[in-house]
Amino acid sequence: MNPITNNNLKCNKALEALVNVMDPEIGLNVVDLGLIYQLDFDDSDLKLFCSMTLTTQFCPMGESITNAVKEALQHAFPEYNVEITLVFAPAWNHEMISPKGMTFLNEE
Amino acid sequence: MFSIPGSPGLTRTTSDKAVIPFYAYAALAFLAATLLLFFSATDFTTHYFHPHLLAITHIMVLGWGTMIVLGASHQLVPVLIESTLFSEPLASASFVFAAAGIPLLSYGFYVFNMGWPARWGGALMIMAILAYCINLGMSIIKSKEENVHAIFVFTATVWLLCTASVGLVLVYNFSYPLLSGNSADYLSLHAHMGIVGWFLLMIIGTGSRLIPMFLLSKYNNPRLLWWIFGLINGGLFAFVLVYLYSQNPWRWTLAVLPVIAAISLFGKYCFSSYQQRIRKKVDEQMKISLLSVMVMLLPLLLLAGIMVVLAITPGEPVRLITTYGFLVIFGWITSIILGMTFKTLPFIVWNKVYHQKAGQGKVPNPKELFSAGIFNWMSMLYLIGCLVFTLGILTRYLAVLQTGALMLLFAAVLYNWNVLKLLTHKPVV
Repeated sequence: MNPITNNNLKCNKALEALVNVMDPEIGLNVVDLGLIYQLDFDDSDLKLFCSMTLTTQFCPMGESITNAVKEALQHAFPEYNVEITLVFAPAWNHEMISPKGMTFLNEE
Repeated sequence: MFSIPGSPGLTRTTSDKAVIPFYAYAALAFLAATLLLFFSATDFTTHYFHPHLLAITHIMVLGWGTMIVLGASHQLVPVLIESTLFSEPLASASFVFAAAGIPLLSYGFYVFNMGWPARWGGALMIMAILAYCINLGMSIIKSKEENVHAIFVFTATVWLLCTASVGLVLVYNFSYPLLSGNSADYLSLHAHMGIVGWFLLMIIGTGSRLIPMFLLSKYNNPRLLWWIFGLINGGLFAFVLVYLYSQNPWRWTLAVLPVIAAISLFGKYCFSSYQQRIRKKVDEQMKISLLSVMVMLLPLLLLAGIMVVLAITPGEPVRLITTYGFLVIFGWITSIILGMTFKTLPFIVWNKVYHQKAGQGKVPNPKELFSAGIFNWMSMLYLIGCLVFTLGILTRYLAVLQTGALMLLFAAVLYNWNVLKLLTHKPVV
């Protein structure tokens, strides 16, 4: 699932940074897992808004994953102030995993 | 969109400080129980109502099984009920009461002194369970959605409270005639309330959520889980009624058949989850947990055999009953815990050590915080040790019992080694 964005170019740069953020249990990155819902860039106030979800609400690893996403985005866009919003509607489901992610998970 | 802004600062998971002490205590209790098993091997050639066997049983079911279930559930209940834990201080209070009560109770059994150590031990255990029960109940009340897993867990805790209360009455009954019969007459009632009401309901309630979650499975069937819930509780109520009012061995089928049906349905639930998994690779910890679901049926089949023997012969099949108890505690409960410890504890430790460091460099995977090689050796020694010890109970050969106990002791040492490795992990970035 591709995230909604108002800037495709910067969104691609953000996604490149986020493929290094892994869900430690599943071993797959947050982009291919489909956890990133929206990336909006406010160039006037230099703010980067990221809406994301977790595979399950109250995931014990939730804080680590959101911290890592914020850290990766901040590193990629040091001039922006990154804000993460955790959303659970729509709830994450397996159909949000990318074809590349499915290939990884299907490996025996 | 339903959103939780400012999520990087979210602190909704239970603190590791409230959880880790349970794991550490349980690991030591497992070691202590296997050590006692080795030095008490000869007692397994006699009747199961033996002080040393009672002590080992209570160290295993309370110090090992219950402590780890309590610890893990403080972490997992928020996942199950989709809400935060009501109180972490109550979780710590539950630990302190149980940690003080279990050695007192076990010492009382070991020396067969049903005076103050056993009484205080039992009372402290009830206080620990009450603290847990209140914490769980209040957490569930806060949760907005009806959730079959939460109902399983709460009902299991109520059965645990009943089990412990009956246990304390049995302790007092040695000194004051509170009941019409001897305490030993009620042993089976006390044991099955704990095994089926506490462990089985708890394991199915949490397993039915965690197994599909860890397998990344699409399968979900709450209706089947409600059937399982009804069958287990129905079977257990039937058991209590038949035990207290009938004692006709054939009527016990009213209790055993629904539980066998429930376990078979849970087996089907797990198999469907496995079949519909998205992640094809299943790790060793999940394999041992799935294996333990199948192991559940072994003691039940043995129980059915015991019932037939009791119905057609006048004597008590002591060896079969001891084997049954051993397979429930050292087979089924222990195999689940061995698998699930290394499925949950590495994440708790990883979260503690790396949650502020995520994204700051290459951090190890949670699975790399313990040794997979030691885990495999532990699993092998445990499985063979269980089989050998079971053979020892059935044949009453001391050397076989000691060999099995020694293997289980080594398995416990390796388990402790890996737990210690996890708990002392230092950050690498």
